[in-house]
Amino acid sequence: MNMPRVLFKTLVALVLASVSAGPAFAQGPAVLPIADVEARQAVEREIARAEAKGLPVQPLIAKAMEGVAKQATGERIRVAVASQAKRLEQARTLLAPSPSVAELVSGADALAVGVPPAMLKQIRATWPRSQSVAMPLDVMTELVARKIPAKRALEELTSLMVAGATPAQIAGLGASVQSDVASGLAPDAALEVRARGVMSLLPSPAAQAALAPSGTKAPR
Amino acid sequence: MNENFERDQLIERVRDTLRAAPAAQPDARAVGRVLATVWASPRPSLWRRVGDALHMTTFTRLGAAAVAGAALFLGFLSRGAVSHEQAPMAVSTPTTGEMPVAFSSNDGGAESALVQTQFVFEETTARSVSLVGDFNEWRAGETPLVRLANGLWTATVPLPAGRHVYAFMIDDTLLVADPRAPKAGDADYGREGSVVMVFTR
Repeated sequence: MNMPRVLFKTLVALVLASVSAGPAFAQGPAVLPIADVEARQAVEREIARAEAKGLPVQPLIAKAMEGVAKQATGERIRVAVASQAKRLEQARTLLAPSPSVAELVSGADALAVGVPPAMLKQIRATWPRSQSVAMPLDVMTELVARKIPAKRALEELTSLMVAGATPAQIAGLGASVQSDVASGLAPDAALEVRARGVMSLLPSPAAQAALAPSGTKAPR
Repeated sequence: MNENFERDQLIERVRDTLRAAPAAQPDARAVGRVLATVWASPRPSLWRRVGDALHMTTFTRLGAAAVAGAALFLGFLSRGAVSHEQAPMAVSTPTTGEMPVAFSSNDGGAESALVQTQFVFEETTARSVSLVGDFNEWRAGETPLVRLANGLWTATVPLPAGRHVYAFMIDDTLLVADPRAPKAGDADYGREGSVVMVFTR
């Protein structure tokens, strides 16, 4: 036996195996730890259906595994996976043309907490195309989850995005509001004061105009 | 022929491991599983045979392992499982307040940036506590917490920037939200988790 040839063959096989390991459900589903066989197969069918539509499989497996950890019934897990697939599909349309998996998941999470679909589209349109929109979507999700009205949250976020806030500043806003609300501040007030704080760090004219006291006019 | 059979079995095991790995994960774990499978095989006899056949002239064992590792890495790279854009891990200074909000000095906000994030849980009677969440596919036991002498449990894990939902699993059976963190509603399963906002400065 020619050993270099065998070694080469083995390496090629390893590379091919790693390359083809992609969509888990296209080549036979990974076994989900759901005791009820029928329920498990139903969940796997939901995932396979989503994959056939070109949706990412990993967030759906995570959703199923979340159900397992929460000891949900097989049927409830199936419904949850189907709902997540629907949200991912909706997010894909709203965040077109080519959202990443992380953006899709963030979009789906936003929809799950009640962010209106049109707002996803608006955030995508406002945020620079060259940057992932995942973080602004995550912050929007967090603000709405803290009971801030979506319209109000979007206004503040949009102002910051237009004024040139960075992803880190946007994320810092979300974390600060989260912290303030946990320590007893009203969500609306927390958002207002924290958004103003971020705005004060931005040098753009839009930021300065937003910071000007109401009723004042910029000098001509 | 027996030698070929053993190698084919090895390839099959590697292939099965890769198939079982979750897709589209920037996942060092998948690489780890593959390597674990390789190392778990009857290594000495295989290497001895390979070494004998090659008369140890063209490849050393270390060299062959390096080539195999490089080939695997290239394979994963080509399917996007390993991202060359992944930022180096940044050790952060978690806030000492009530919430596990994590920071690092790593700017840019790229979704691939990882931030070391510490989780702390107080539970004196548990035999084991693990962290489950959207970052580890809610797999119990995947991220165990370490028990400290003072009765606290802790784990520090690298998380991508963004909003993460999580909970603690006690003794592999009882799922509880983090009492020190904001709650996350759950429209799908009706059981609250906790939220951590992770970001880079």
